[in-house]
Order: sequence, then structure tokens, then C-alpha cells
Amino acid sequence: MEKENRLHSPMERREFLRTCGTLITGGGLASLGGVLGSKASAVEGETMWQIDPERCLQCGRCETECVMRVSAVKCFHANQVCGYCDLCGGYYREGVKELNTAAENLMCPTGAITRRFIEEPYFEYTIDEDLCNGCGKCVKGCSSFGNGSLFLQIQQERCLQCNECSIAKVCVSGAIQRVPVGTAYKLKDHA
Amino acid sequence: MRNTVLVARFPKPDFTSGYQYPDVLHRVPMETFWSWVDVVLLVGMMGFVAWAIHRRRSRRAILAVSIVSVLYFGFFRTGCVCSVGSIQNVVLAMAGGDGYRLPLVVLLVFLLPLVFALLFGRVFCAGVCPIGALQELVNVRQWHISRAVTSALSFIPWVYLSFAILYAATRSQFIICRFDPFVGIFRMGGDVGMLVFGVLLIVLSVFVGRPFCRFLCPYGALLGIVSRVAVKRVKITHRQCINCRLCHHACPVDAIREPCGGKVAESRTIGTRRVALYLLLLPLLTVGAALLLQSQSDTLSMAHRDVWLYTQLRSDNPPAVLPAEVEAFHEMGRSMDELEASVVSVKESYRRLSAWAGALMGFVLGCKLVRLSLKRTRKTYEVDPSACVACGKCFSYCPQKDKAKRSTGQQVNESMCFIKNSQYEEKHI
Repeated sequence: MEKENRLHSPMERREFLRTCGTLITGGGLASLGGVLGSKASAVEGETMWQIDPERCLQCGRCETECVMRVSAVKCFHANQVCGYCDLCGGYYREGVKELNTAAENLMCPTGAITRRFIEEPYFEYTIDEDLCNGCGKCVKGCSSFGNGSLFLQIQQERCLQCNECSIAKVCVSGAIQRVPVGTAYKLKDHA
Repeated sequence: MRNTVLVARFPKPDFTSGYQYPDVLHRVPMETFWSWVDVVLLVGMMGFVAWAIHRRRSRRAILAVSIVSVLYFGFFRTGCVCSVGSIQNVVLAMAGGDGYRLPLVVLLVFLLPLVFALLFGRVFCAGVCPIGALQELVNVRQWHISRAVTSALSFIPWVYLSFAILYAATRSQFIICRFDPFVGIFRMGGDVGMLVFGVLLIVLSVFVGRPFCRFLCPYGALLGIVSRVAVKRVKITHRQCINCRLCHHACPVDAIREPCGGKVAESRTIGTRRVALYLLLLPLLTVGAALLLQSQSDTLSMAHRDVWLYTQLRSDNPPAVLPAEVEAFHEMGRSMDELEASVVSVKESYRRLSAWAGALMGFVLGCKLVRLSLKRTRKTYEVDPSACVACGKCFSYCPQKDKAKRSTGQQVNESMCFIKNSQYEEKHI
């Protein structure tokens, strides 16, 4: 009996152990896949980063914390909510003397907000997304003095969909979360 | 919560000029489509590498895959989601973080390379992973690192993995993503510190093969374990090895073990005793490391934002300028009791999970000690399957070409290899 055992070379033994290892690892991977597969979802699981405008406090970190050189967060404008005021809290700085387009009077540091006269006394405001840096100064002004029609949101065509959004990591109010693709834009007007 | 009802300070304007509200269209990119393209390409490229390694036995095919991977997965898709980072998503899904649903694509990105590793070895590392491919493409020299140093450094990925699991399961941070040195390069911008680190790693990988893959990558550590029991192993040559040492010189990741037939200097009993000692030490190391890390769990839990906020709120001498988080806490009207309850539960899960993370580290350390003290006899040069990244460099250096490539008709003999070898020594020493 002992003699027969010796015939099994260490190579054969190693081969046997390896096959066992392969089977165990394979089984482990399959069961891991099974467990995770039951938790995974193809439809619901696909998500994109969005700001909850109701929670946003305009702390200004969206401008600086995004991995993009110019943040993927932009100011959006809900026309349906806007009051079309002449003295706009998002357009002019607080306590401005003259209502003209001189840079010292305007809230936006990059001149991304333009306005167009509609009729007395209404003005239509438009955001140039290419210029907007997502600082949220106008949003703060608008929600403090106006209807809150300006809000910050992640522009999905610019967002890289990082596995962990680096703005979400430092967002003071936890307003940035993943939402299902179907509701990829959390807007203020649901027109 | 603030602002739940929109403040309508000014009424909706009553236009008389027939003004129409502009149609604003916010376009959603085809993210789902592209992520499925990723999965298809991932499978296709891994299959191609497996074929190139085991059938075609060609290094050139792998270089081609590397270029495609760096361009597509790296620069075009800018790195997210990658298999390395997907560990954290999987851990989070396993830990059942409040309603986190694992996207199917992420699950596939995590599992497929492991399945391929079980079948064919680390074909994912070979050139499909853009991080590995980038380092492979710039690698020129192979400065060899001794087995002792490699073994010690290869413990780092496990420490990294343990912390990544701990922080992901407690939903504190995704540290693998945060400290990814290459994603900044692919995006051509980002955190300056990480960019500098990435550039340094690339410069280093000119001289040393794949420093990130070997000494940092936590996913590589997992793939290494799986590929140790791979069904099909990477072979230097299908013909008889002639011990010419050329493959050993060429291997960028020091994965080729030298023959060590009659080199055992110590008696068998001493070796056996040492293995037995390490096996006894294994549970001790595991428990010891678990307790050690658990004792630090309160410090570690500071990585969670609620715990950090709580300590800021409760600190005896608050800073003159309050952190924005503290101000936000007051402004959001979240109650202190709610925060306290959250902090208690977070700290509790840290206590539990830090013990597991410590146990993992201790266990791996013990296993590494056991493995180092196991003596193997080898008569020829052999590939260490867990360290081999299937780059295919050894094929091109091996003079014992396979059938398909024997067209040169050159009869290779040992003396010729000796000449080649001595030329090598002259050049490199």
C-alpha cells in the first residue's frame, strides 16, 4: 500500500490540488455572480448623477470640485417658474445702483446670463451653458430674491459619470445623487 | 427640508404680446448604449488576448490590443467604470447600502475578467485594462527586483483592497477611484497630486515593468489568486525548455521562476517545521490584525461624512470660520438626534467591518509567509501564474519557437543561447 502511494509523484498531487482549486474558485465565482445577479438590475440599475435642486444650498463647490476643468454642473433656467422681472436677483448684484449691463452690476462672473426684452415690464433670461461655470451665484440671488427659477444641475452631455462623483463627495447638503436614467433630469418646471 | 414648496414671490407674468415659453430640451447621452459597447469590447478583447496568448502566441497582437484599450477605454471612455473600481460597487451592493442597486454592466465588468482569469490567466491585465496597457506600452527596460522585495511590496494591494472594502461597505468613500493615478491622465486634468503621482508611475514603468499592477492594484491581487488555479496556464514554450534564461531576463514583472533543483541548503525537517510554525501563526496573525484594526475603528470612521460632521459640531473649540458642512447642517434643519443615531450605526458597522478588513490583511500576510517557505523543485524555467500578466514577452524571447513560428528553420542549441546570454550580460551589467 505504501509503495503504491509513492508512485503518486508530487507533480500529480499538485495537479490534483489545482483542479480542486479551479473547481472551488469556479463555484465561488458562479455563486458570487448568482448572488450579485439577483441584486443587479439592468433597467433600474443604470443611473446618472443629478443634483436635487430642492436640497442644493449653492455652496459654490460645484464650480471647483468637478473633475472637468470647467464643471459639468451648469445653471438651468425654469422659464415656467420665472417672474420675468426687470430687477432680477440672479442677473443684477445686490444693491446695484444702475440697471445696465456694466460688468460691476452683473451677478454672473462669466457673463453667461443674457436677457431679452419681451414686453413692458418683462425680460426673458437665458443661460449660455458654454460660458457658465456652475458657481451658483445667480442661483443664490434668484432663490433669495426671486422665484427660484434658476437652479444648478448636472449637464449630462458633459458629465463623465464618474463611479463616485467628486462633487457629491464634498456636497454640503448631500444633494448630488444617482438617479435612474429615465429621470435623468431633475428640473424645476415640469412643462 | 428647505424649499419643498417653490417660493413664488412674483406671479407668473401675463404676456399680452403672444410670447411663448421657449422649448428647452435637455439631452441625455446614450450612456447605456456605450456601457454595453464597453462590455462587448471587454469580452471581445479578452477573448482575442486569450487566443493570442494560447494559440497564436504573439506579442504583437497584445501590443495592438493595448493601443486600442488605451485609446478607447482610456482616452475615449475616460476610465469609468473600470473593473478595478467596480470592486467597490460590488462590495456596496453586498453590504446592502440603503437601496443601492448594482447596475448589470458594473457587475459584468467586475465578473468577466475574473472568469477569463479562471479560464486563461490574467488576460485582462495583458492589454485590455487601460492602466496596465499604458504602463506596458511605455516599458523599455526591465530592472529586476529581487523576490524578497517583490513579495513584500505585493502585500500593499491587499492592504489597499481591505481599506477599499471597509470604506465602500460603510459607504464612506470610494478610495480606489479617489487615488487612481491614471484617470487624471486619461481625462487630461484633475487632482494635481494624483496627476504627479501618475506621471511618476509612468516614468517608473519605463524602467520597471508595471509598478501599479504589481504593487498597488487591488483587482490585480484578486486576479492573481484566481489565475493561480487557471484552467489554461501561460506557457513560455510548448517545446522543451533549454534553460537559456532569456525569458527570465525579458519578463517585465519578474514572474518567471528559475530552476532550483539541487539548491536546497537546509534539511527537510527545518523546512517542514517552519511551514508548520507559519501555519500555526496564520490564525494568530488573522485574529491579531483584526483586533488591531478594530481598536482603530473610531479613528477610521472619521472618513464617513456624518461622523466627521458630528465631531465638528461637538468640538470644544470650533474654528472661527465654520466649515460649510456645519453651516449646511444648521440650514438644512436636520435634527441632532437623527445625526447622532446615524453616527452610532456608522460606528457600529465600522467596528464590525474593520475587524473583517484586519482579518483579511492578517490572513493574506500569513498565507504569503507560508507560500514563501514552501520549497518547490523546478528543473526548467516556469511561469508563476499569479504574477504573470500574460504580456507575451517571453514568447518572443524564447529560442524554442513553437511549430507555427519555426519557419526560419534555425536549429537552436544551447551553445547559441549561451552566446546570446553572454551578450545580454555584457549589455546590462
